[in-house]
Amino acid sequence: MTSAVQETPRPLAPKIFRWDTALQWAVVIITFVLVIFPAWPIVYQSFMDKPLYEKDTAFTFGNYTHILSDPHFWHVLIYTLAFAVMSTIIAGFIGIALAIFINRTNMPLREFFSNLVTIPYYVSPLVLAFAWIEMYGPQGFGTIVIRALRIPTWQLYSFWGIVVVAAMYYVPYTFLYASSSLALADAQLESAARIGGASPFRTILTITVPLLRPAIIYSALLTLVSALELLSIPLLLGNSVGIETLSTYLYTIGMVGVNKDQGAVAAVALLVVILVTGMVYLQGKLTSMERRFVTVGGKATRPKLLDLGGWKGVVAFFIGLYVLLGIILPLACVVLDSFVSFLSPFMNPLKILTLNNYRGIFDTPAYREAVVNSINISIFAAAIGILFMAIAALTAYRSSFKGREAVKYMALYPRAFPGIIVSIGFLWAFVLLPGIGSLRNTIIAISIAFIMRYLPLGFSAISPAVLQVSDELDRAGRVAGATWMQTIRHILLPILRPAILSGYILLAISFLKEYSTALFLVSKGSNVIGTTMLELWKQGGAEPVAALSTIQMAITAALIIASRKLLGVKLHE
Amino acid sequence: MNNDLIIEGLTKKFATSASVAISDVNLIVKEGQFTTLLGPSGCGKSTTLNCVAGLEEPTAGSICIGDFVMTDTARGLILPPEQRHLGMVFQSYALWPHMKVFDNVAFALKLQKRPSDEIKQRVHESLALVGLEDLSDRYPFQLSGGQQQRVALARAVVSRPKVLLLDEPLSNLDAKIRENARVWLRGLQQQLGITTVYVTHDQAEAFAMSDMIAVMSMGKLQQYAPPEEIYERPANRFVAEFIGVTSFITGTIQKVDSQQITLKLASGELLNIHKENRPDQKWKQGDQVPVAIRSERVEVISGGASSRENTIKAHIANRTYLGSKWQYSVETAGGSLRLESTDAIHGDNLFMVLPPDSIILLAE
Ligand SMILES: Nc1ncnc2c1ncn2[C@@H]1O[C@H](COP(=O)(O)OP(=O)(O)OP(=O)(O)O)[C@@H](O)[C@H]1O
Ligand SMILES: [Mg+2]
Repeated sequence: MTSAVQETPRPLAPKIFRWDTALQWAVVIITFVLVIFPAWPIVYQSFMDKPLYEKDTAFTFGNYTHILSDPHFWHVLIYTLAFAVMSTIIAGFIGIALAIFINRTNMPLREFFSNLVTIPYYVSPLVLAFAWIEMYGPQGFGTIVIRALRIPTWQLYSFWGIVVVAAMYYVPYTFLYASSSLALADAQLESAARIGGASPFRTILTITVPLLRPAIIYSALLTLVSALELLSIPLLLGNSVGIETLSTYLYTIGMVGVNKDQGAVAAVALLVVILVTGMVYLQGKLTSMERRFVTVGGKATRPKLLDLGGWKGVVAFFIGLYVLLGIILPLACVVLDSFVSFLSPFMNPLKILTLNNYRGIFDTPAYREAVVNSINISIFAAAIGILFMAIAALTAYRSSFKGREAVKYMALYPRAFPGIIVSIGFLWAFVLLPGIGSLRNTIIAISIAFIMRYLPLGFSAISPAVLQVSDELDRAGRVAGATWMQTIRHILLPILRPAILSGYILLAISFLKEYSTALFLVSKGSNVIGTTMLELWKQGGAEPVAALSTIQMAITAALIIASRKLLGVKLHE
Repeated sequence: MNNDLIIEGLTKKFATSASVAISDVNLIVKEGQFTTLLGPSGCGKSTTLNCVAGLEEPTAGSICIGDFVMTDTARGLILPPEQRHLGMVFQSYALWPHMKVFDNVAFALKLQKRPSDEIKQRVHESLALVGLEDLSDRYPFQLSGGQQQRVALARAVVSRPKVLLLDEPLSNLDAKIRENARVWLRGLQQQLGITTVYVTHDQAEAFAMSDMIAVMSMGKLQQYAPPEEIYERPANRFVAEFIGVTSFITGTIQKVDSQQITLKLASGELLNIHKENRPDQKWKQGDQVPVAIRSERVEVISGGASSRENTIKAHIANRTYLGSKWQYSVETAGGSLRLESTDAIHGDNLFMVLPPDSIILLAE
């Protein structure tokens, strides 16, 4: 072929600065810094013999040998694993049963129950733990009633108490995953079994449950990972009776002995991160393996419901009982307690109604600030966060940028960082890095830590939506003359609006209830609702805690209702 | 100034796959011409087109329009798509669902910050060109597939690109509409006189529309020629097999003269082949060669042997009724052949005539 091009050499096109590349670099660098920022001081500290800010620190393995030879550490580790596994199992069973009965059978009030059982998903575990204490604790409303009837009661402050409350908190995880999986699975498989002569329950056990396997495995590992790092429930229920898990252990030595045992804290933190990394890795492996077995029909046929016959009343009764005893009564107790001076079954609450608890909150600047801070963080930090996460997802999935694979991994990596460890890491990083120390105790620092911690949540809320948009749409934009950034702005972001909005609401709710990531970063003026509740709880006043819990729940409810009504946002399928 | 599209040495290897997607593709599309990239699925047609559009970065090669160099890997130059000023229509049409028809078409002009009067006028012209000026207020989902495809075309030409790229734009249409769309699209291309590269795996489409056809297979350009030449003188076995209903038989060359070649089958039957089919090749007596047979030009003789040239005997191995015709698999002394006939043939043995122009000598 004749070489028309090479005969006349043309000047090299000038290397032009491209905003596209600049933005993509910015995304990669910010993601990297966000993830590394809290991680490096922990790694570094775990190999140093003295707290980092002291002079003459030296390299050592001492922290690890010290920790690993400490029988107490092993005791705590085993206890934590036992607790996490047990609550995962219980939550898994309840969640799957609920998902199947509510989505696949003709029991009554399905829509109603489907909304109620997901309530714990939107409530802080701190609030749930507190609610159960109010209802079933040693001096709880329900406990006292039962005791008065001379029926033997239980001990909520115990291993099983912690397991049950944590399980309650995690049921919605399994329920939601199993439900969306059921919505996709082919209902004809069940009909075929019924026609073949199987009873409804037999059909559920032999057809429906096996179909759910991927969802079950996925949500079980998700539950396990978050149970391992759960702080509030073991702290509130176990602290007074000497039960410790890894996170309460970190909390206690972190809070009390900042100077003394910093190396040990770091070593434990890093071990926890490694443990969780292993679980997260396993989760990825198992689900990608399991995906091969999923048979998604993709047909939007209305699934035929299994007829439970005479059993449907019984099933509805037990689910109703579960919702009432596990969720409604405890939370109602909290709300009621916030409006009275003292909650007791022996006093008519209407006679002791008061707004003093709320007055107490709003008249104390520190508490009022905490509420305002929480609201600000969940409105503004979540907005900035979700926008960044959306652009990160677009860089990862919709750019030809060299580092895009790295963005995927980095954005998901914070899953391996329990909130309390993120908190410690940020604290140390702020202390150590010159020039930014002044940021440490501001809500800016807390916002950054929250965004880091919830990077995986936002990223994975938006990624599926990004993947669903045909890439020909952005290619068409590029060919029409739009730069990558213009394509994002004019084409992808508008198309992704619904996903971004629901991601935003999800993030805002998470920021509102988050406390563990803020634990070591708060100080006077920068408290948030969760940390303030913990503080008040330690001071022993139940009513102010109840008031704060109620405020938090009310804001969450308002957020959900407003987003549904005004924006038409659906938080999950 | 000439504005030919020149592709030289284009090679693309995806990082994720072991083999190259396209290798050393050379192509010149003359200004105003309609060139089709034709080939089976996965042969690299879209990859080639995307390299031209700047949507893929080739591993090696250069691409330019006249003296506007868009890609030249030797100099590390790869212009991003937005700086190439091309028009492109995608298989899914890729209309932006959140924009009305008007805004879809106007998008490129708005990016160029044209005055709004001009935008309005040019969008209107473009939509009129595809016959949809009344639908500018609709959203894409309110249009039929055929209308969407027209909007996509209006959008692609509104900024008057030098080259129009189309990746299987008709494959999502019903068979009926598709045939009309073919004619319409070709007419439009000629009216605009726009240099066009069209991708398809449908040979009827390629033959109906193109000035030139580039047949591709396994990432390589197999032949680049006008439609008649592709059909009459396929460059190699792949092209012969891919185009039309083709079978192959093998024989030994018995005689070569200036006009024709005589091929002898294992049974001793003789076949005369016009040499003008292959003026470029040298054949020797005694060579064992495969030849391609265009089944549609084979005549079946009912009732006994005939004295006509190139008559051979065959045995029916298999017959399939297709409604409008019959399809037969027949065994000959040179190998098996597939042929079609509107007649039902009784009995298992038959004679057939392979007219000289139904036999094509191949280079290999
Ligand atoms: N993004 C990619 N990553 C890896 N391999 C790819 C990618 N895109 C295409 N390929 C491979 O390159 C080869 C050519 O693909 P291409 O899409 O160009 O084929 P095509 O001729 O357009 O096929 P079709 O008619 O099916 O559209 C194929 O083997 C394909 O698997
Ligand atoms: Mg293709």
